[in-house]
Amino acid sequence: MAVPGQLTFARRLGPTARLAAWLAIGIVCVVLDVRYQAMEGLRSGLATALQPLRIALRAPGDVAGDLVGFFTRHRLLQQERDALLDERESLRMTANTARDLKKENDELRALLALPARPGQQQVRAGLLYQGQNWFGQKIMLDRGASAGLRTGLPVVDASGLLGQLTRVYPGTSEVTLITSPGQLTPVMVERTGQRGLVAGVGHGQLELRYMPAQTDVRVGDRLVTSGIDRVYPAALPVARVIRVSRPQAGPYLRVDGLPLAGLERSRAARVLVAQPVAATPPLKPAAGAQPAATQLAGPQP
Amino acid sequence: MSVPREQHGLRMFGTLALAVGLTQLPWSGWALWLRPDFLAVAVLFWVLHRPDRMGFGTAFCLGLLADFQDGTVFGQHAVAYVVAVYGVLFLRLRLLQFDPLRQAAQMFPVFLVVQLTVLLVGWLAVQPPNGLTILLPVLTSTLLWLGLAGWQRAWRGKGMRGAE
Repeated sequence: MAVPGQLTFARRLGPTARLAAWLAIGIVCVVLDVRYQAMEGLRSGLATALQPLRIALRAPGDVAGDLVGFFTRHRLLQQERDALLDERESLRMTANTARDLKKENDELRALLALPARPGQQQVRAGLLYQGQNWFGQKIMLDRGASAGLRTGLPVVDASGLLGQLTRVYPGTSEVTLITSPGQLTPVMVERTGQRGLVAGVGHGQLELRYMPAQTDVRVGDRLVTSGIDRVYPAALPVARVIRVSRPQAGPYLRVDGLPLAGLERSRAARVLVAQPVAATPPLKPAAGAQPAATQLAGPQP
Repeated sequence: MSVPREQHGLRMFGTLALAVGLTQLPWSGWALWLRPDFLAVAVLFWVLHRPDRMGFGTAFCLGLLADFQDGTVFGQHAVAYVVAVYGVLFLRLRLLQFDPLRQAAQMFPVFLVVQLTVLLVGWLAVQPPNGLTILLPVLTSTLLWLGLAGWQRAWRGKGMRGAE
């Protein structure tokens, strides 16, 4: 009755009562989602239902992009082509060296009787949109379970690790970025091999945690994944150290880093779908290296 | 109000779909930070102009949609939108009399409340600080108030109102 616009003898519940009822339902939703993960079905239902709308809305942009691309000047394309050819030449040389190194590596692994690393399979995905959330930076990709993705897989772009798939829907998937608060990534300092944990702190920054004060970490050091967690393959670039300081209190260094991958800029990403380790037959290079290894190991005893 | 009812419904659905779509565009960088909460604006607009068609239930469902889009905990935006709907219903008659500038100024605190509610619910859901013991002062403050009021009444006989 104190609320203006309300009938004195209304039969419906008043706004305050309805507010209270919906607040209660909201709290139940939050609890169900956080404590019991009971809302995942609703999430994937919404993802499927919104897919046509999303495609329809992106269509004008895609068409405009195609048109602009069509009218791109010929000379620009030629220049680009020349640059790409040049880059391909240099990459081919690098690839030759890499192939040689891989062969050598396989032989050494066989010598030491270490298991071969599982091969990596990649799924290309485009960025749909970025979610705005105070409690974690997330991006949505346009590939999902139908492309063979599952939660936990690492996502990279051309320059480094972007993050990890945390939710996978039939046609889309959600990536938690490495800068997201609470997201941990096992890394090592590339120069020294010192292992550590990188945690996201938000604002597009990372922090290398639990580094004892005497550790050799310098500004400019590259941090790469260590590969001991069975989630990320080894040696994916993660971050570059931008600040190292020694706090007055506490035995650990404070090491800040910036991600190497274009978390804010990348429009395309790759999801690394590792072949399950247990189910794969020995990989071809490893099989090829096996006789060589026995041959080498033969005269030793 | 001369527009037929179905057309109104269509227009309402259209604007809401547009709001959902605008949120789905690939915003990034500064644009992402500046991105208005299109869905909240649309919901509150229709609550103001058609409170019979847009109410708590619809706002709640659209809030769940916003939660899905941002990948947040389900209920964060839903609760915030419900609170905002209450605010607009409370201010409705006043808002309808205002010119656009004053109306926007009056909506500022409502949108502020939406964001703060999202922040609060998310904070409580994601990082519950020490098992919600932070809410215990609410209880103790109330008990203190009871004691204080009782003491005051005993001191002045009938309380403040009687004393004036």
